[in-house]
Amino acid sequence: MRRVEASLLVASSIASVTICFLFIPVAALFILFDPRTFAKIFLLNPTLYTIARSALLTTFEASASATALNIALGIPLAYILARKSFRGKRVLESIVDVPLMLPHSVAGIAILCAFGRAGLLAPITQRLGIVIEDTFLGIVAVMAFVSAPIFIDTAKVGFASIDRELEIVARSLGASALRAFITVTLPLSLRAIAAGAVLAWARALSEVGALLIVAYYPRTINVLTVEWFSMFGLRYTIALSIPLALLAIALFVLLRTVIER
Amino acid sequence: MISIRRLVVRRGGFRLVIETLDVEDGEYLVVLGRSGAGKTTLLYAIAGFVDIEQGSIVVDGVDISSLPPERRGIAIVPQSYALFPHMRVYDNIAYGLRVRGLSRSEIEKRVREIARRLEIESLLDRYPAQLSGGEKQRVALARALVVEPKLLLLDEPFTNLDPETRKSARELVKELHRELGFTAIHATHMIVDAYAMASRVAYLERGRLVAVMDRHSFFRSPYARRYLEEYSDLIDVARELGV
Repeated sequence: MRRVEASLLVASSIASVTICFLFIPVAALFILFDPRTFAKIFLLNPTLYTIARSALLTTFEASASATALNIALGIPLAYILARKSFRGKRVLESIVDVPLMLPHSVAGIAILCAFGRAGLLAPITQRLGIVIEDTFLGIVAVMAFVSAPIFIDTAKVGFASIDRELEIVARSLGASALRAFITVTLPLSLRAIAAGAVLAWARALSEVGALLIVAYYPRTINVLTVEWFSMFGLRYTIALSIPLALLAIALFVLLRTVIER
Repeated sequence: MISIRRLVVRRGGFRLVIETLDVEDGEYLVVLGRSGAGKTTLLYAIAGFVDIEQGSIVVDGVDISSLPPERRGIAIVPQSYALFPHMRVYDNIAYGLRVRGLSRSEIEKRVREIARRLEIESLLDRYPAQLSGGEKQRVALARALVVEPKLLLLDEPFTNLDPETRKSARELVKELHRELGFTAIHATHMIVDAYAMASRVAYLERGRLVAVMDRHSFFRSPYARRYLEEYSDLIDVARELGV
């Protein structure tokens, strides 16, 4: 009995250290936050305000667009991976997860190699007028690339958890495969899809490494944070980080709400 | 009339072979077999949910084996009943009618009619999670029958019910069959179901259809005896208890 209690004590101590390690940096960000610097950026200096506001808006719009893209393009793939058995499925699943494994800078280089001006698909992208270097489209492409696996994997688990017999019955009652999916499978998977979308959005929001390579401009808030950190130091960067941290925390609360509902 | 000829279905390492099987209009055929004999595979092949390797399934003179499930006119009631959990009972029953594009008033009329027939009118506003096993089964039957299918497939429909409900459920399905005259194929591993429900019995063993007989002949055949031998312990206990 005494041994059990001792091991529990050790485990609790380690757990406390872990919690502190995870919580203290976030708390420190808010504790060291200087309202005067914040006011200087967002209220008193029009130039800094314009730059920061534009970076925030770009980040928000690009991450939302990337998430919308992931939902539109990811749902069919997630459904196929959840429902169908076919040769090469494992390989396909691995391909989906590769962006998760790549270091962020490598992900950026890989995107340039594929869709950049000198990339493999340059003949096609140039004909279509698609430019990713230093464009909003480039930011969306990077964010979609790094966050797609999170959305697809979460949606896949959601689809797989829906009893296949529900679709069988729907089709035996006369519904086409698409109608059965829209009226039965999709509504029942909405929670997983929403959770996947929020997680993917949070991932897109946090990207910086690949963006530094593919699309430094227009600056996202993360790129601007890196830039200001080297130019102005920590105080300005903290003030700039607060809106992003609040947005990330809001997404986290949204995610918990979706999961717990 | 349903005619199955030289049907071969492969699922993984399992192979189902049906040389010939005919089901007359209005007939209640019970497909009897142990677990893994291929009963569900046969039902799914008829309904179009597994690809067939060869053979034909002809319904009323039309080969349906290459048609998608939704164009076969075959309704299925799975073992789990598979009620749509996000829809009320009314919407579950109305599903197939909505798919067919019927008017709202026609749908309402038909749903209320079948609900009255199955004595589930009071359940129409409930969700499936609020129903008992027996109620779920009635709703699943109503949902399948309201579209007036050419053929009704029942996959172990009584297995999930407690013994008391099972008895009344058998009576209900029998009565509905008598009244509505639908054609049914009922797959089960329970020999009691075959005894209580079948006009004919098709006996499956390890993926092969080994006998198709009228109920009377089947229960005097070696197949039924062999099947019953597995329950001999139970029968002895019942005898001892005087049940």
